[in-house]
Amino acid sequence: MAQTSNKPDLRTPGGFNAQIDNGMGAMLGRLTRDRSVVRMLVLLVAAFAFFTLLRPSIFLNPLNLENIAVSAPEIGILAIAMMLAMLTGGIDLSVVAIANFTAITITTLYAGLAAGNPGQANSLLPLILLLGLALAAVAGWFNGFLIGVIGITPILATLATMQILNGIAVVWTGGQTLYGAPESLSVIAKTTIAGVPVLFLFFLLIAVVVAVLVNVTPLGLKLQLQGANPVAARYSGIGSRGVLTSTYVTSGLLGGLAGIVFIARNPTASADYGSSYVLLVIVIAVLGGTNPAGGFATVAGVVLATLTLQVVSSGFNALRLSAYEYSIAQGVILIAVMVADQMRFRARRRKRDLQPPVPAAPETQGKS
Amino acid sequence: MSETRTLPRASGLARFKGANNEGVLALVLVVLIIGMTIISPSFFSVGTFFAILRSSIVPLVFALAVLIVIISGGIDVSFAAIAIFAAYTAVKLTGSGNFDPGLIAIVLFACLIGALLGLVNGAVIARFRLSTLIVTLGTQGIFRGLLVAYIGSRYIADLPGSMSAVSTSNLISLEGGGANAYLHVLVVPVVLLCVLIALMLRRTMFGRGIYALGGDMEAARRAGFSVVRIQIALYVLAGVLAALAGVFHVILGRNANPQDLVGTELDIIAAVVLGGASIFGGRGSVLGTVLGVLLVQLINNSLILVGVPTAWQRTAVGVLLVIGVGIQAISAKRESKRVLVNDEVKE
Repeated sequence: MAQTSNKPDLRTPGGFNAQIDNGMGAMLGRLTRDRSVVRMLVLLVAAFAFFTLLRPSIFLNPLNLENIAVSAPEIGILAIAMMLAMLTGGIDLSVVAIANFTAITITTLYAGLAAGNPGQANSLLPLILLLGLALAAVAGWFNGFLIGVIGITPILATLATMQILNGIAVVWTGGQTLYGAPESLSVIAKTTIAGVPVLFLFFLLIAVVVAVLVNVTPLGLKLQLQGANPVAARYSGIGSRGVLTSTYVTSGLLGGLAGIVFIARNPTASADYGSSYVLLVIVIAVLGGTNPAGGFATVAGVVLATLTLQVVSSGFNALRLSAYEYSIAQGVILIAVMVADQMRFRARRRKRDLQPPVPAAPETQGKS
Repeated sequence: MSETRTLPRASGLARFKGANNEGVLALVLVVLIIGMTIISPSFFSVGTFFAILRSSIVPLVFALAVLIVIISGGIDVSFAAIAIFAAYTAVKLTGSGNFDPGLIAIVLFACLIGALLGLVNGAVIARFRLSTLIVTLGTQGIFRGLLVAYIGSRYIADLPGSMSAVSTSNLISLEGGGANAYLHVLVVPVVLLCVLIALMLRRTMFGRGIYALGGDMEAARRAGFSVVRIQIALYVLAGVLAALAGVFHVILGRNANPQDLVGTELDIIAAVVLGGASIFGGRGSVLGTVLGVLLVQLINNSLILVGVPTAWQRTAVGVLLVIGVGIQAISAKRESKRVLVNDEVKE
């Protein structure tokens, strides 16, 4: 991930204290960021080692590893969308509904066209995909409008969008599973480059793009400020309306991309596909170091968290544990991570209260 | 969000509107009932009325649990998991209908389980000051997983005798004229619960503490409320209420299915928020919640009568939520703007 290194330049005129503060803030930010990434790496390796030790033959099977790589992207993309919403201090409960809605739209359009003229349907496929993404962006814009312009709390606004989209999807499909998703997508999904599934590369590409968006662009900075302190952001002239709208449009678009991955991986679409994903995606975002109160997140952490949970999921499969046991594990992981973060935050605050602020910065480096 | 206390206005209109828009909600209900009666005259009957009441029994008890959590400034999405966990476990332990310890024992046992699960929520939330949404999302996964993976995944069709006896007893039954109307006996405990919770919220120190917590946690602490104790107690209470709702659901449905209820959380939260409870805490009333639940049930019922497929219900509730909360948000914005202007004048 691109880390912006903003070292304080001591030679420039200006308050020395301000520079110290600035440098400290940057360092603290970098430390926490690095720590959540390092923690995720350790957890990923630990989870991998654990299941490898327990069931080496099943777990290290190339087929299993490929399965992990193919099933991770859709969840990972949704988790990145959730991360973006959380970064601004919100939450997007509607991402999974948006993904399903996109998948259903694309499948219906394609199947409808293919019934009449398969060749035409295939040549129009890029257009159909774009239309699906446009719908996802509109749904995201609607979220942004409700949150940024009307001023509805993100939980309720995205909850309502989720209900509306889900309801429309149920009516549209009649509660049935739709078949006939574009075959060319499934073909793409099955190809691998140097042994790595294309879907996984697509996921990494999206992660990089979002990481650049968050860390390098002015919009990314505004996003972080909006989440860290909405009042301060407003007084620094950041229009929360525009920032929130672009956030939710982006998370909607990511939801749409996840929807395309849904039908690429499995050429069917239904209204209630991935209904357990909302919890899972929040778990991943929080585990990846996203602060649900806003202002802080790393894409690398979320990518690693996605992989870790996929490893746990396939490990549970290898151990013949049920989906319900996996859901217990998700809940336990979520709460454990939040508690651990909270304890560390308190310990640091206590330390800072006891000592003068300047030497406190390097001390926090120790544990990871 | 800055909660601003509006000064009490004397006009009759404002009083009718109520502290949490209860009057407006009641008006919407009345308009809806009149509209439905005009569209289909068969709607306006005792039978429909009783049917709506019956369908409101379980949502209403859930809504009470959600209400106290929302007033305290939190949000709970684990109540449905607690409900089915408590009810299913209670039924399962009675040997799936072979052994019958009596209705009261079953209910008490379910409440005990509900209280324990609520305690888990409350302890984690109060002790570590975590986001209530995320903690309860986590516990929802845990409770439901524990239930299905370790307690039972099978549908239980034969309830203990004392429970199934309640299933078929009605408080009022009107028969004849081709339209039979039954008012289920469970309406009684639900009304009782509503009154009790309303009294608790308005008259007891604990109830006022819940409002204080939701208004401003730090201020509540400085005012001498034991924040941790109140928070734990209110989640325990929400757990007990959820367990009761679960038992009522099992009694009404005449079976215990571990897959039930989970997934209906959002409808309940929507109803409570529509009932005027502020998602930021500190505001909300039992009356508003009752009206909110009735409104959602009435709309669901009306959609069927008008001939709209039931599948649209979810969308309808979503649209309703956007409209209800949107109006609240816009008026709150207008209010906060007014406050800002005042501040500038002062300075």
